[in-house]
Amino acid sequence: MLEVLGGLFALALGSGFIGALSGLGGGVFIVPALVILAHVPMYVAVGASLMSVVATSAGASVAFVRDGWTNLRVAMVLECATVTGAVAGAFLAGHVPPWALELLFSLTMLQSAYFSSRKKGEGILAQSDRLATRLRLSGVYPASLSNPSSKPISYGVENVPGGALVMLLAGITSGLLGIGSGALKVIAMDSVMHLPLKVSSATSNFMIGVTAGAGALVFLARGDVPTAIAAPVALGVTAGALVGSRMLVFINVKWLRLTFILLQVLIAAEMGWRALSRI
Amino acid sequence: MACVVPDLMGFAEMVDRGTNDQEERILRLWTPLLLRSILVASVILLATGLVLAITGPSQHYVKTFENAQHGLTHQPTSFPIIVHHALQGDPDAVMTIGLMVLTLVPLARVLFCFLLFLREGDFVYVLFTAYVLTSLILGIVLGRIG
Repeated sequence: MLEVLGGLFALALGSGFIGALSGLGGGVFIVPALVILAHVPMYVAVGASLMSVVATSAGASVAFVRDGWTNLRVAMVLECATVTGAVAGAFLAGHVPPWALELLFSLTMLQSAYFSSRKKGEGILAQSDRLATRLRLSGVYPASLSNPSSKPISYGVENVPGGALVMLLAGITSGLLGIGSGALKVIAMDSVMHLPLKVSSATSNFMIGVTAGAGALVFLARGDVPTAIAAPVALGVTAGALVGSRMLVFINVKWLRLTFILLQVLIAAEMGWRALSRI
Repeated sequence: MACVVPDLMGFAEMVDRGTNDQEERILRLWTPLLLRSILVASVILLATGLVLAITGPSQHYVKTFENAQHGLTHQPTSFPIIVHHALQGDPDAVMTIGLMVLTLVPLARVLFCFLLFLREGDFVYVLFTAYVLTSLILGIVLGRIG
């Protein structure tokens, strides 16, 4: 018994660690680890992973909020879309054939690998468009972390409907695939709504727990979260993420970026192959 | 901004200093405290459940895992039944309660934002957060349906 429990905990610990180092989150790694290495059906892995995403994100975004990077209003407007998508996705996950889930996971990993390899936007929008102004979405962020008294930098927001549409997709993939969908959330805010990258990342971190929580509630209410797997996975991924986020200070992750991109492509290939061999 | 509800959390003095101060105070002090408390309670329950599984009948955990490998995951969903089993020392029931407590974290986070916007009298955002809360609860209903 201890081999099974220890094995699951080790997989979760490693996934949480890599998830934190790569900035992709533990869900992206624990789902394929459970499917490929622990021979657990995709649907079962999704239920367990959603719980681990909720656990990991519970304390992760506090520092960003405290430092003033999170735009709470943007988060709340967009959460309407992500939560709707996550509830729909988690509901559908119970009715979609396993090969379709695996194929979608493979495609999502490829998209995430492409996003990881692409240069992110660095510009700041000076003024919000009409809808964003009416919703008072503009914000400020600290100019310098080392000098808190420096004048904060203000930024604008645009294309809220476009961002919400991408967020709906992020919610659906989160509920269907058991991941935080952080990459898609950052795309919605950074590339579509033109928020500063660090504000996008911090706001995305704040939103991930609520999005995954929406999916987790559907699975839990349906009685579909396998406790024997979900408990060690939630504890292991959270512990791994804690260690990983502490290590970020000491490790220069830039040289690891290519490794993470390759890892995502490999996972995408394996999951895609599994899906296609089942059709 | 006008104070529209009773002083729920003891930060009335922040109201006249503007939205950001108030948001910051709630988010900086109260939200992390509550969220961490819920998280710690959940971790204790999950760890207790695992200890019970390790010290209980040796094949029970392995059998549950093997069932999950075959897609058989169905857990009881009636809360009174789960609590009853947990009180009898059933590890699965204790872990299920731990997972339920864990899902309170996102619910509490949205509830905090709801109270924050309500207190600021920002009714557009009260509606946004109310929609998110309703959707989370709808998720439970949808899960019950199947």
